[in-house]
Amino acid sequence: MKLKTSTSRLAFTLAEMMIALSASSVLLGATLTSSTSLQKSFNAIDTYFATHMQQIRIVDYLSRDVKRGLVVTTSADLQTVTITVPNYIIQAGDPEAVVNPALIGTPRTPTMTYTPSGWQVNYGANTSTVVYSINGTSILRTENGAITTIASSTDQLVPQTTDVELANTEYAKTSITFQPIFTSGGAVAERTGTTVYSTAYLRNKRRG
Amino acid sequence: MQVKNRAEEGNVLIVALCTILIISVIGANVLRNCTTRFNVSSSQVRSWKDSLFAAEAGGDIAYAEIRKSVFDPSHAFDGWTTSGGKYISPVTTFGNNNLVTSTVVDSFYIDPSGNPWYRARSRGTAQIRGLRQTGMDDRMDAGTRGDSLLRKIDFNTDHFIATYGPNGDGVGQALVPVSQPQITRRIEQISAPITPFEAAIKAAGTFYGLGSAAYIDSFRSTVGPYDPSVRNNPSDPRYVDARSGTVEINTAIATIQGSIFGNLYTNGGTVTKKTASVSGVIDNNVPFSVAPLEMPSTATWNYVSTPTAVTGNTTIDPPMVNGAPRPGTPGSPNYYLISYFVNNGNLLVNPAVINGTPQDTYVTLSVQGDIGNSTSSQPTITVPANVHLKVYFTGNFQTKAENIINTSGYAGNLQFYAISPTDPSVQQTINLNSGGGANAGFSALFYAPSANFTINGGPDIIGAIVCKNFYANGNVHWHYDRRLDTEGVAIDYRIVSYVEDIR
Repeated sequence: MKLKTSTSRLAFTLAEMMIALSASSVLLGATLTSSTSLQKSFNAIDTYFATHMQQIRIVDYLSRDVKRGLVVTTSADLQTVTITVPNYIIQAGDPEAVVNPALIGTPRTPTMTYTPSGWQVNYGANTSTVVYSINGTSILRTENGAITTIASSTDQLVPQTTDVELANTEYAKTSITFQPIFTSGGAVAERTGTTVYSTAYLRNKRRG
Repeated sequence: MQVKNRAEEGNVLIVALCTILIISVIGANVLRNCTTRFNVSSSQVRSWKDSLFAAEAGGDIAYAEIRKSVFDPSHAFDGWTTSGGKYISPVTTFGNNNLVTSTVVDSFYIDPSGNPWYRARSRGTAQIRGLRQTGMDDRMDAGTRGDSLLRKIDFNTDHFIATYGPNGDGVGQALVPVSQPQITRRIEQISAPITPFEAAIKAAGTFYGLGSAAYIDSFRSTVGPYDPSVRNNPSDPRYVDARSGTVEINTAIATIQGSIFGNLYTNGGTVTKKTASVSGVIDNNVPFSVAPLEMPSTATWNYVSTPTAVTGNTTIDPPMVNGAPRPGTPGSPNYYLISYFVNNGNLLVNPAVINGTPQDTYVTLSVQGDIGNSTSSQPTITVPANVHLKVYFTGNFQTKAENIINTSGYAGNLQFYAISPTDPSVQQTINLNSGGGANAGFSALFYAPSANFTINGGPDIIGAIVCKNFYANGNVHWHYDRRLDTEGVAIDYRIVSYVEDIR
């Protein structure tokens, strides 16, 4: 038996082509639009998460230094924080290291001084100064002149710290906000909605 | 038979596959992004904080043991091992996250009062669950790390021991594998002794006194000798030191007479400025507690076997060591066990004299029973200059004020400690009577948390007292020396310094 072949079904009619093209265009357009939106959304969320991680890092850095600090001072605009911390590790050039270089990098044994406000424990004759500041889009930590960038974002990270002095101690309240790159229908609370709060107390008796 | 032409379906399959691929790639990226950041924020940040909690818990455990050295000396550091003068804690695992902590404590300093200061180095470790990788946001720029510079994670080996050695002093560096990724943080806390004489008079029970013309004022002997005119002269730089004759009463029963040039605290009392002449603050809501006194550890003291009693005239000279008198130190005084002190015994404690020069000499007596047991008792204790005498006694104390002879005039050189009776029905007493003139007095300190303290007459006193109930009916002139706020044996400890080793 000979098979019958229908050649008329090998091509589309014009109407079919037009319908197919229209449908394809709609589908392709929808796909492209969705993909672009998805990519934008992904990018925004990725940036949001990345900045949020940096918020946590700033808080952790600050908390660590405040807890071991002796005194915390904030600037009038609340964006620069200066913390005095003990010199726990003997560094090159310290008096002990000059006498015995083998002590470099070892923990220092403290000395005690009696002051009118009671006993004071001192790790060396001097203390270290740690400064947190904003420089452009970066948050810097400067310890005795050595600068470390602890956060860097195009999302306008803004940390604000307030130091509150109590009778013998002190605590630092920090809030960190950023401006997300995506907006939500003109809402005014985009920045405030990103706020991360932190409170850290000095473990040492406040000096000064 | 008709054959179906399938050519039309190939395009659809490819398009569908491409769509799935694109969506899958986007989904995988989202998933990777989320899991990586979740890994950091949930596991690594949490463990970093947990490890500090663990280290501070270790510090608290050590602090509790340090306090036992005062409140329960025979059980302090039970279960810890001792090596090279250091107490090493067992490793403690606790909490739902199996936090691990351990502490090494050493006494690194003996203060001028002979009290040890303790340094506690604690480490806390928290395991990290989740992915063995750092976060996506670690690298700040070409040369700067972010998270891993702050939170140092030990994925395979302990970085601290490898770089700085187990004690952080550069000795014994070794590659020590870790069974699971972890974060370890290390802190150092200094515990300082709290000494008892922070006020002129501290009564844990009731208070009555002093006489209507009596007064309590203060001075600081390191600045100059006592001068009665300073307390009324605001222009004198010593004026502040002259108005620190504080009285603390831990009950509401406070009958205040005379003048107090300092603050007055009660626990629920009704003292007002109208009922007493108080120059400083009156606060009627200051409760406090005074723990019973136990005999402290004598482990570091230098026991001397004679004399064993004070009978008649008894003189204590320093023991001879290698042909020279041993003056002792605040942490290792010459220590004598006195089995009894007769009612009218006279004790003289001499300093060590080397090459004709008296040395600062540290002597501690432990007297079993009373030092004077009736109103007719007149035991005498004489402490020449350069002698620092502490007298512990388990019974009562009774003598005339003039019989307490402290030649230096510094009250810190003669300290009396009344060991609390083990039987709560026994009431310990300290009675001091005037004699030898209206103003004959003494310079001394009394720490007697379980004793009722009575002064009859109006002696002139330089010193401080901690007692149970206080009673004085005479016109006592009481001068508190502000230098005394660091004198005396430790009655507790407080943490005065905290530092983290952030390496």
